[in-house]
Amino acid sequence: MLGEFKQIVSLTGIGLRAIPQRKGASLVIVIGMALVVAVTLSILSMSTGFMRSVRNTGREDRAIVLSQGSQFEFASALSRDNVTTICDAPGIRTASDGKPIVSAESLATVAVVKKSDGLDAFVALRGIGPQGLALRPEIKLVAGRLFRPAKHELIVGKSARAQFAGLDLGSQVPLPQGDWTVTGIFESNGDGHESELLADSETVFAAMRASTFHSVTVMLERAQSFEQFRTALTTNPTLTVDVVREPQYLAAQSEFLNDFLSMIAYVVGGIMGLGAAFGALNTMYSVVSARAIEIATLRAIGFGGAAVVASVLVESLLLALAGAAIGASAAWIAFNGDLHVAGGLVFKLAVTPGLVGLGIGFAGTLGLIGGLFPAIRAARLPVVTALNNQ
Amino acid sequence: MKYLPLVWNGLWRRRAQTLFTLASIAVAFILFGILAGIDAGFAHTLAASRMDRLFTDPRFGAPMPMSYGEQIARVPGVSVVAPRSLLFGYFQDPKNTLGVLCSDRRFFALRPEISISAPQIELLRQMRTGAAVSVELASKFGWKVGDKVPLQTNTAQADGSRVWTFDIVAIVDDLNYPGQGGWFIANYQYLDEGRVDGKSTIDRFLVRISDPRRGAQIGREIDQRFANSAAPTRTNSERSQAQSGLQFIGDVNFLTDAVLGAVFFMLLFLSGNTLLQSVRERTAEFAMLKALGFSNVAVLSLVIAESVLLCLLAATAGLVMSELLIPIAHDALANFVVLLQMPWRAMLRGFALALIVALLGSLLPAWRVMQLNVVNALVRR
Repeated sequence: MLGEFKQIVSLTGIGLRAIPQRKGASLVIVIGMALVVAVTLSILSMSTGFMRSVRNTGREDRAIVLSQGSQFEFASALSRDNVTTICDAPGIRTASDGKPIVSAESLATVAVVKKSDGLDAFVALRGIGPQGLALRPEIKLVAGRLFRPAKHELIVGKSARAQFAGLDLGSQVPLPQGDWTVTGIFESNGDGHESELLADSETVFAAMRASTFHSVTVMLERAQSFEQFRTALTTNPTLTVDVVREPQYLAAQSEFLNDFLSMIAYVVGGIMGLGAAFGALNTMYSVVSARAIEIATLRAIGFGGAAVVASVLVESLLLALAGAAIGASAAWIAFNGDLHVAGGLVFKLAVTPGLVGLGIGFAGTLGLIGGLFPAIRAARLPVVTALNNQ
Repeated sequence: MKYLPLVWNGLWRRRAQTLFTLASIAVAFILFGILAGIDAGFAHTLAASRMDRLFTDPRFGAPMPMSYGEQIARVPGVSVVAPRSLLFGYFQDPKNTLGVLCSDRRFFALRPEISISAPQIELLRQMRTGAAVSVELASKFGWKVGDKVPLQTNTAQADGSRVWTFDIVAIVDDLNYPGQGGWFIANYQYLDEGRVDGKSTIDRFLVRISDPRRGAQIGREIDQRFANSAAPTRTNSERSQAQSGLQFIGDVNFLTDAVLGAVFFMLLFLSGNTLLQSVRERTAEFAMLKALGFSNVAVLSLVIAESVLLCLLAATAGLVMSELLIPIAHDALANFVVLLQMPWRAMLRGFALALIVALLGSLLPAWRVMQLNVVNALVRR
């Protein structure tokens, strides 16, 4: 057993030392794998960054209440009576003044123009309740002051301001019943709210002549209070609502874009990987045939078949891994931390260690596939034939 | 042409190696074909969106009063106005979400791409609870004409029930997206008489104009009429909405171009290396050809021809395969993108790319062969 291991080590060493003599062929594997890994990771860095930004918004101890069957907030409708019932439910954390930390929210859409290409877009104006900022302590003003209730005032998320025209401090935003003034700019830990406008809930409600609120978000006493809160609402005969933890709600909202990006990454990565595997097969077959005499000689002086197989496999694997390392670093240098806009959210691309691991694993598998068949052929090569051909 | 057998034999000198090179180039062209198909799908979505069809939407999200329809119709240049409201719901399982489009017969004048006959439109008009559904929905849920379809919704009826039941009177198709387009079209009258809240309100007016070039101007005129009312509007052509919508997914074109760039760099390297290796192994052969009187240009052409033949063969295989794969992938990806058969122009671009790769890849090997010194090469043997 030990002898066989020694054989593998020395044979592999011989193979690896000869790599400089066949630079071109070896580079085919390295460059192929580098490109596959770089492209796949670049695309996946989008969905990872997007999901990370989505997860930032969510807290396990916050829950959102929507009318039953509503897929998104705009489709949901909760009457004022419903809101009162929801705020009285058990499991909600109370502020120091004894009021429950909840926010009944009223939404409106505001038509805006994108700075980059002049195309039309919509941003959401979210009316938040008096406890809205206690509910979301991550929201911090970076310029100006807060909006005042009953005044036509609003504050703008910093990525909404960066992306769309006419949302600067002091700008007038046309809404029903006249223009609203931008009194402040806020940031919110890079989450989805940074792409929104915030104002007072009752003021938006009145301006929109709304008859119902869109959603209620509550702060739970602790994350474990969720079941208690949910059961209280879903068993209440006067309510027909869905209660979801905030992270789950946000994940469901971004499912489509995430699936879309992952699908592109796997289709493109899969097809490119197939091409790279053929390239690796090609290279390793040519390596094996160039070394036919050498291998036959080694077999003749007592090296085992397993050692031959292993040495070819290891060479292919190492070349593939070198390529993967280059590709992953390229993707990391080029994209990690870059800002990107999709799905109405501005987020940073993220090449995570998990993604790098995935890329290296993928390239390693392809390298092994590319080495396997040539390795078997090398081991099966009849010694006498190979040497006779000389 | 008479050298074709020579080129052909040169190409297949090492069968396995040529096959693997062919396969990896072909795979790259499969990817090229699929990406071109995605591009074609986006282009089709854009082309199918019309400039003479305007959408008047509520500017701030709250629905508009029904009476806007008559006022919009009086704007010069407007030929037909169709009001519509959506009823959101699901069939049996909350995962089967559906948007029921509630309108009247004017809707079909605005959407001629829906294949519905005049008698069917009349049938739908007469049956208050009637609905015309697309082929896609009908086959997904196994609906037939005459079926009763109950939908669970968010909209309450007078008796407090949130279930709305429809009778299917017609199964239609969308000529722009055959077999797709999740249409579920019902009578606005049924919705409006049944619901408790939001009576006589409309989510969207579809507006047909006679001169597509005047879309922006007519849109502004419509919006001006309601600028100071309780529910201001925002009017856009279907085309400009489609443009904004496609932008939303991110810059797909940039993505496909970047991927193709990477793929073709890889190809260049792969085919160049294969050829270089093969030429190196055949040094003596080429020297012999030269000794027999082949000119430098002739051997150079032989090498280039071999490269071109390899790349064109592989490109043909790859493009044909992607044409076969696209119909299969179409269904699998239907949730995400409209994947279409690539247009012939993309096919030509594919062959042009193959040619470029072939020429660039054969540059170095061809140069080597041309520089070959006959005496040295033959002596070394």
